[in-house]
Amino acid sequence: MPIKSFAVAMIDALAHSLRSDPNVVLIGAHSFLSDRGLRPEDERALWDAFPDRLIDPPTSEGVCTSLVTGAAMAGMRPFLNYGTATFAFEAFNQIMSEAANVSLMSGGQLRAPMTLHMFAGIRGGGAGQHSSSPQAMYANSAGLELVLPASPADAQGLLRSAIKSDNPTVVITHTRLLSMTGEVPDGDFSTPFGQARIAREGRDVTIVATSLMVREALKAAEALAQDGVEAEVIDPRTIIPLDTAAICTSVRKTGRLVTVDEGNALCSIGSEIAALVAEQAFDALKAPIVRVARPPVPIAFSPPLEAYVTPNADKVVAAVRKTMQA
Amino acid sequence: MAFSPRATLARMLLMRRFEEMVITLARVHKLGRQHLAIGNEALGAAALMQLADGDLIYTTHRNHGHMIARGVDSGKALAEILGRAGGLCGGKGGTWHMTDPALGFQSTSAMVGGSIGLSVGGGFALKHRKTGGVAVALFGDGALDEGIAYEALNIASLYALPVLFLCENNSKEGEAQTSRLATKELTAVPRALKIVCASVDGGNPKAVDRAVGAALAHVRGGNGPYFLEAQLVRWPGSHQIVHEFTTGVTDVTAAWDKAKASNEHAEWQRNDPILRFAHDMIACGALTREDVVALDADANAMIAKARTFAEASPFPKPEAALAGVFV
Repeated sequence: MPIKSFAVAMIDALAHSLRSDPNVVLIGAHSFLSDRGLRPEDERALWDAFPDRLIDPPTSEGVCTSLVTGAAMAGMRPFLNYGTATFAFEAFNQIMSEAANVSLMSGGQLRAPMTLHMFAGIRGGGAGQHSSSPQAMYANSAGLELVLPASPADAQGLLRSAIKSDNPTVVITHTRLLSMTGEVPDGDFSTPFGQARIAREGRDVTIVATSLMVREALKAAEALAQDGVEAEVIDPRTIIPLDTAAICTSVRKTGRLVTVDEGNALCSIGSEIAALVAEQAFDALKAPIVRVARPPVPIAFSPPLEAYVTPNADKVVAAVRKTMQA
Repeated sequence: MAFSPRATLARMLLMRRFEEMVITLARVHKLGRQHLAIGNEALGAAALMQLADGDLIYTTHRNHGHMIARGVDSGKALAEILGRAGGLCGGKGGTWHMTDPALGFQSTSAMVGGSIGLSVGGGFALKHRKTGGVAVALFGDGALDEGIAYEALNIASLYALPVLFLCENNSKEGEAQTSRLATKELTAVPRALKIVCASVDGGNPKAVDRAVGAALAHVRGGNGPYFLEAQLVRWPGSHQIVHEFTTGVTDVTAAWDKAKASNEHAEWQRNDPILRFAHDMIACGALTREDVVALDADANAMIAKARTFAEASPFPKPEAALAGVFV
């Protein structure tokens, strides 16, 4: 299988979508395509191939969101890239009150097949306004699918599924995953929503991690293996829909659960997974669940301050040790 | 299509009797807030009757008049307002979000400025797919207070999108203001963004018909968006929360009966677009008093039938609340 970067895999998914469906357009093309590791001639070829469908809009997140929502309702399949995730807060009304409601409030008469993509996460030096991990906010929308790819292959396959989906779908890419490389199947393919990936098998503890935290969880698992603790790492890949069965099956095998999520701990993805396991597999738990997440504080600029609140492999190792001792 | 006084008055009367029925039903069924379009009939009827198949419409919480003006089934609309299974959206949208895609209605957004934003998406799709259709955004003057309006006007102009921005301005000087713009000249905003603009007396259906016709010709001709401000007179009950016949039940004979025209509602009746239009059409010989009475009777009969349909429609099964979030 070819080796690709996460960023190029995403671009390939978009290129396949543009080629296969004339109703696909990319709004916010520049920050999605440029300086993402494409060869310059490949990037130029893309712009040349789709001059009317790669669009650099005004800095107007609100109306860009309305535009893709209205266009999706009227038969198109648009993809909007916000750039940094905090910019999408400019469009929160349009995302939450318009896009997420299209299907239900029309009694199923209308749909909004659209993808909203953003670069998120604690990226290093982003400070208060460029370090958000807003996944839980979108998980709470009721009406949006939520996708958190964690590998180059999933970046391509999940993005392709997001564009094909008839529902409004939010895809959150952690900025620090963009340069990650890995094997990606050849050609055009889609990865189905709602199917977790077992990133590592293990018998002693289940670690459910999302996005960049999958990589940290795998690092932690290698360190724990030195001490004879075999962690199973589950990557849900999509939060809406969520593969609850895969998570519960793993917890029933290991009896222990650690969740790893870069979002604020309060009402986080980790909180939800902990609650689901407590509801559905409580009898299998041998120890209290432990959540690893960022504390609910804005991210400070200074490197040691940022590092202090950023979830990482060491924090995951500590959480696993805590649950193993309980 | 040539302007027809008879068809236009008939549609205006249907819109008025519909809203009056909403007041009645709101009292009988203890409904919550409704945003009635009484007084907006001339604009709604004369504008929306001109739209074609394939045109897309984006409206606001003050949507009932627009729906009836375009020819939406009044029984299904009343059923939706009552939250019934037989409503346009199966009771899931209510007055706030009624929609009827078969007639081009894409969305009723109750977010102030929402219709303006979505309409440029419709315009974008129509242009991309080269259908020749027009996206029509209906909104009040208050929507121009919102940032999304500025963003939407800018992008529509920038990309020359086929959008008709149709502003129902009922904030005339000296009245309760629903917009607090630093300029009283609403068209100054779109004009600054190079959008062709016009203003029209929104209480005069003939003038609206001409103005909307010119606007649609501009947009359909591929000349980019158009902003039409319709100046409306605010109905004194437009802000009511407890639903009342603030200006009485409309009596069409007040269009010619001077005694009736000097009752306690005289000031409103002078501005009422239905009475104005009926009076003018009788004066110019286009319609007779008997015509007006007969058209009104037809409207009342249709709305009575619509009420029967709506009240007979059952509520949806409770578990339907969970269905239809996703396709």
